[in-house]
Amino acid sequence: MTTVDEVVGAVPAPVVIDHRPWWRSRAVLSALVVVGMLVGYYAAKGKYTWPAALEWNSLTGHLDSFQIWLSDQSNAAHPNLFFRVVTGISSGLDTLVTWIYDALTKLTWVGTSFVATLFAWRFGGRRAAVFMFTGLATFAAFGLWDDSMQTLSLVLAAVGLSLAVGLPLGIIAGRSERFDRAITPVLDAMQIIPAFAYLMPVVILFSVGPGAAVITTMIYSVPPAVRIASLGIRGVPANTVEAAQALGSTGRQLLLKVQLPLSRRMLLLAVNQTILFALSMVVIAGLIGGSGLGDPVTNGLNTNPAVAILAGAAIVAMAIMLDRVTEAIAERTDPTRRHLDDAGRRRLRVTTAGVVVACLVAVGVGIAAHAGDIYTRFTIQDWLLARIQSVLNYIANPSTFLFQHITNPLGNFLTQHVLLPLDTFLAETPWFVTVAGFVLIAFIVSGLRPALVTAAMLALTGFVGEWQPAMDTASQVLVATAIAVLLGIVLGVWAAESDRVSQILRPINDILQTLPQLVYVIPFVYLFPISYVPGLIASVLYAFPVVVRLVERGVRDVAPQSVEAAGAFGATRRQVLLKVKIPLARDAIMLGVNQGIIMVLAVVVIAGLASTPGLGYEVVQGLQRNEFGLGVVASIAILALGIALDRVTRGTQGNRRAREDVS
Amino acid sequence: MKVGFKKSHIRLGVVAVALAAVGVLVATNVATARTGSGCGTVTLNEQAWAGSTANTYVAKYVLEKSLGCKVKITQIAEIPVYEALAHAKVDAVLEDWQHVDQYKQYATKQKSVVIEGSNGVHGHIFWGIPDYLMKQYPQFKTWKGLKGKESIFKSPESGSQGMFLGGDPSYVQKDAQLIQALGLNFKFVSVGAESAQTARWTQLVKQKKPVLFYWYTPQYLNAQYHIVEVQLPKPFKGCKDDAKAGGAVAQYKCAYSTYPLEKVFGSKFAKSGSPAVAFLKKFSWTNDQQNTVATWIAGQHMKPDSAAEKWVKANQAQVNKWLGK
Repeated sequence: MTTVDEVVGAVPAPVVIDHRPWWRSRAVLSALVVVGMLVGYYAAKGKYTWPAALEWNSLTGHLDSFQIWLSDQSNAAHPNLFFRVVTGISSGLDTLVTWIYDALTKLTWVGTSFVATLFAWRFGGRRAAVFMFTGLATFAAFGLWDDSMQTLSLVLAAVGLSLAVGLPLGIIAGRSERFDRAITPVLDAMQIIPAFAYLMPVVILFSVGPGAAVITTMIYSVPPAVRIASLGIRGVPANTVEAAQALGSTGRQLLLKVQLPLSRRMLLLAVNQTILFALSMVVIAGLIGGSGLGDPVTNGLNTNPAVAILAGAAIVAMAIMLDRVTEAIAERTDPTRRHLDDAGRRRLRVTTAGVVVACLVAVGVGIAAHAGDIYTRFTIQDWLLARIQSVLNYIANPSTFLFQHITNPLGNFLTQHVLLPLDTFLAETPWFVTVAGFVLIAFIVSGLRPALVTAAMLALTGFVGEWQPAMDTASQVLVATAIAVLLGIVLGVWAAESDRVSQILRPINDILQTLPQLVYVIPFVYLFPISYVPGLIASVLYAFPVVVRLVERGVRDVAPQSVEAAGAFGATRRQVLLKVKIPLARDAIMLGVNQGIIMVLAVVVIAGLASTPGLGYEVVQGLQRNEFGLGVVASIAILALGIALDRVTRGTQGNRRAREDVS
Repeated sequence: MKVGFKKSHIRLGVVAVALAAVGVLVATNVATARTGSGCGTVTLNEQAWAGSTANTYVAKYVLEKSLGCKVKITQIAEIPVYEALAHAKVDAVLEDWQHVDQYKQYATKQKSVVIEGSNGVHGHIFWGIPDYLMKQYPQFKTWKGLKGKESIFKSPESGSQGMFLGGDPSYVQKDAQLIQALGLNFKFVSVGAESAQTARWTQLVKQKKPVLFYWYTPQYLNAQYHIVEVQLPKPFKGCKDDAKAGGAVAQYKCAYSTYPLEKVFGSKFAKSGSPAVAFLKKFSWTNDQQNTVATWIAGQHMKPDSAAEKWVKANQAQVNKWLGK
């Protein structure tokens, strides 16, 4: 999945690179701070852990009683008006999803496939039709047609509602600076707080079933709609807006005739991203009755992991299908690119009529021939499961070369020489030295305000009693980000230099960003049988594609004049790359680091499920052992840690302003 | 621009007609949908472990074949399912591992669920080691034999201490407290979900390495791997099993007790008088029987429906008893 920043385009390279003496560069100053922290560590190892006097221990208890109270109210014999309204909303949503599912099945599988494929063909062209058909054929071949249709109906309902809520909010945010500033922290919280933490309140209010699943999905998929729509409106050139205003446009005219049409591409991108974000919640939605592909993933993990992997692959197929189809429709229907003459229009009308007739015929044939609501005929499921199982058997076998000589030693090395030392360092350095270190680095890298925010956020993690697990998590996040950034920079630069590499990387990125991590994190336990490592690798796999995309964009966007000038002076390709392109793309790379951290944090909870101690584990425990308070508190700490690390790596105000100008 | 808008109106019209046509088709089709049978629909919740799958599918088979019910299976997580039972979205859970807090809150206080008694299976949690290790060190029969030998359980993340491999965070446990109360030099290593824990210890067992871990019966893997129990101090009055309860570690210094696993019904379902209620109340089988079916499903990857059919056909007498025949 792409992030908002990527969507906007990478940071433009500054025209002039500031030349500070090397000993005043940010890297050197930050390194000095780390040295200072090391001194603190050796001077007072483990002596000053976060003091209990600065903890608010009763918070979890209050939260627990709140949940019990909420449940008692909701299950009372005569619930009050609020709960009746909420129940009404959830049954309305249940009905909506059920209705879509009924429509998809009552058309029969033949009808549904034809209608979807022809629709894609009419509005998106041949490529879109091929993707749509291949996607549907995949669900059929996997023997997961019914699950896929359930997931599709859930995703369609959630996306429709997310857009209905998100686009208007985004448009307001795009037109009002104050509203934008007010809503941004809310959006951050919605995206960083793990769904596990609010699953229980959602279930108490909205019960289980598709309705609750839609609500949970929306909490995650509304933010991208708002953000991208807002960026789109802001992206309309200021002089165009001024010209329209000078010609006497009213606010309404300005919006409808200038801002909306000109931000069309971004608005369609918002649709596309909302779909992908909604799809990434399928597994979580399954835990509260969302049904669909999430169920075989969760249950397969315990009874038959091959089934979980197959269902994960179906989720990826659906993501790629919906992504490419919406992208193609956005391109094809772009009025600025399409210039139809009268004959062309007539042809198009005939095509439309033909498509409608073909759809009706297909549905009619499907019903008349009793094709069945869902596809249950020939599948290659058993064959695929056997293949997947043989790969799993290889992975689970500790006598293979792969395990003996590659993964096991690598895992041991990472744990003993990287993760554990860093964890010990962060946990045993006096807490005030750790806080001071992070704050100073934030000040050096990002400036005064971010430094103050960092201080407040780190204090918050300690205050809610999560200092120790937060340091565990921080060490994992830092290592995972370092690996993801390294990998991302190498691959990103390579992809920027070679179109073929770029082409190969794109589907890999898509797969890694939409495949539910739960599916592959357990096989990793076999390969790297040490706590910490499987979760670490899952985070790296999820985060590095974003870094690749940002770095590739950044290096590709380096002004061609600079490259030509260097070439004219006789620089070799290698020199151009190392001395011109990479330094000029520095800010894009920095942005990659920043986004990498956020992505890694998004996997913290899944990592907790696969053997990684820290905040993620506590959030899981919160849901599974009914320790609501603990889960919420750990989530607050994740959010605080996320904001702190974001500010530390965000870069200076100047960079940020440059980024905002681009949008 | 203006012309373009008009054209798009026409196009929209065409699409709308198409949608309307589809809508009519759907409506006629919905109207002719079949009606359910006498027993109606029963919703059972399958939990995320193989034993639960076995219960659920055997019950489903009998409900469908002998009572003509329609069975819906949901897969909602263990704690949220209580809300689902209270809201009558789920009718029954056939295996619950003593969620005492929930019993208090939902059954006693709200009366929104009913605890229907045991499903016949008894759960037992223990400290397990592989049998080859027990042969090598017979002293590991009791926890006292572990004292001084902790370092043979060393792992990369446990440093100089031995590693104790903890259970799934969603399960009842007190191992960190036990280690402290018994004065053993183990590092409690939490490994997350059960599948992750299983992956971890099976990997060590395959290499015939030492491992000490949280384990339980009934579990289908016990048929495949030979795990033996390390005896812990005998339970005393007031000894606690769930670290969630808090308090001094001395209160945890005993072996886990053996639990009957409970069936939990939603109140509405329990009062519905459906023939399904009478059957599910009587549904009860042994650890071995459940393990057999669980092994077919999880060990041999048999489809749950076929595994249930195979078991029911071989045990018709017991099924008849459940049905009151």
